[in-house]
Amino acid sequence: MSDWFFYLIAFPIAALFVASAIYGLQWASKNGQLRDLEEGAKVIFDEEEPVGRPTDQILRQPKAGVTAPTER
Amino acid sequence: MASASQLASSLNPSASPELVKRAELSEIDASTKLPALFFFGSAILWLLAGTVFALLAAFKMHNPGFLGDFEWLTFGRVRTAHLNAVIYGWSVNASFGVAFWLMARLSRAELRHSGMLLIAAAFWNVGVTLGIYGILTGDSTSIEWLEFPSYATPLLFFAYALVGAWTVITFRFGRSKHIYVSQWYILAALFWFPWLYSVAQIMLIFSPARGTVQSLVNWWFAHNVLGLWFTPIGLGAVYYFLPKVLGKPIHSYYLSVLGFWSLAIFYNWAGVHHLIGGPVPVWVQTAGITASFMMVIPVIVTAVNHHLTMVGNSSALKYSPTLRFTVFGAVAYTFTSLQGSSMSIRSWSELTHFTHYTIGHSHAGMYAFFTMVMFGSIYYILPRILLKEWPSAKLISLHFWACALGIIFMVLVLSFAGVKQGIDMNSLPIGADGKPGAPAPFLEIVKNTIPWLKLRSYSGILLTIGHLAFAVNFVWMLLKPRPAGATAPTLFRNGPELEVSR
Repeated sequence: MSDWFFYLIAFPIAALFVASAIYGLQWASKNGQLRDLEEGAKVIFDEEEPVGRPTDQILRQPKAGVTAPTER
Repeated sequence: MASASQLASSLNPSASPELVKRAELSEIDASTKLPALFFFGSAILWLLAGTVFALLAAFKMHNPGFLGDFEWLTFGRVRTAHLNAVIYGWSVNASFGVAFWLMARLSRAELRHSGMLLIAAAFWNVGVTLGIYGILTGDSTSIEWLEFPSYATPLLFFAYALVGAWTVITFRFGRSKHIYVSQWYILAALFWFPWLYSVAQIMLIFSPARGTVQSLVNWWFAHNVLGLWFTPIGLGAVYYFLPKVLGKPIHSYYLSVLGFWSLAIFYNWAGVHHLIGGPVPVWVQTAGITASFMMVIPVIVTAVNHHLTMVGNSSALKYSPTLRFTVFGAVAYTFTSLQGSSMSIRSWSELTHFTHYTIGHSHAGMYAFFTMVMFGSIYYILPRILLKEWPSAKLISLHFWACALGIIFMVLVLSFAGVKQGIDMNSLPIGADGKPGAPAPFLEIVKNTIPWLKLRSYSGILLTIGHLAFAVNFVWMLLKPRPAGATAPTLFRNGPELEVSR
């Protein structure tokens, strides 16, 4: 009954999804997204909110002089 | 309102280079404020509604006559209303808010034309309301996770399209050369979900597939909403908030990329594990079981990554609400996923399928993982868009402990109940003559679950207390006046030596 839907539409689009995944991975590789992964981890920090400064402490304020978590 | 061509060019980064700049965090946060508030506010309202439906359903399981005279509140309808309210009402609204806020932040791009997102939020919530109303009045399609009647679903499609499009546009305006792992997760989730939902609607409702193929489509859909929508959004949030709160980058970014791609490859095959022992070909079941085990790879990779990022910094859990909820959620993710993999073993499935064990598992996933991560995300986002602190640290602590203890209790109770049910249903007691007799009568097994179901209701009351604390704090925060001259949240004041100067 809905076999036409499966063979003509769903199956081809599923194949397109697989192709898109392969494309996505290939694009990432070509675009340099998979190089310098350690630098990639740091993009969420900047001058305003640098590495080494915690950004959310409203329960029980830490005492003055408590240092930020050490970076490994 | 800008003309059509102006509108089009403002949506295309290459047409308007002067609009593309690396925005300040405060500008980004401000641009997301109204839609984020609309989505989060609606999410919290649905959380409360879903909690009420949950309590009603839970009470009715051990007390079937409770409010038994109301047609709208019969168990079949109220349980379904609970499921849809917490999935499409609470969870998806929260997902939308977190997704576009994270995308704006990570792309370092302001959200453009955010008014359209307000329209999306309105359509989504009207759609969900209509759907829940339809369920309560008896129009449920009775297909799991797709119960909304078809007069509600077009509204959801339209709203989703707007949210998806706007998040992608924000990404395109991004000024960050590197695409952070959370952006991968969010874009992937936005990409996968429409296909899942459309195929399910077409093959189950508009042009239903033959016989048991429907069950395959149903569970492909429902499981993938978990694995390809909620899991990526939840993990995307953890991968951002965990390092951000600690001020420390993710331990191994390589592992996070590996985790993303292995999730993308393996997760979508696993849905068949809902049909183990069922009327579908054995090879399909085996494929699902295999994929469910392959999922151990991204799960362990993610767990190791989160753990090694946290190690040495657990004192931060005392100070940060976001960290508490997020770490709880991340640990729950690992537990639930490994539990899920174990549940796809045929002999285990034989024992616990169709018992309360499965419900314990589903709540471990959607609540202990996803909902707790969403709570953590909202605790981080809201002060930054409102430029105010959360009014009451005590309410936050109450929220955390009530929900953490409540969900642990619920999962334990339902797991014990389910295993006991499974053992009783499957075992043949040895009779007095030494020969195996008949299994215990079904009704007796059902009655044996009642004490466990009562305990589950108590856990539900704990969760309700947590949700009320959250809702009260949220409303209080909206209503309290912003301190004069505030340009940034005040909660960054760790100590004079760490003051952020603006």
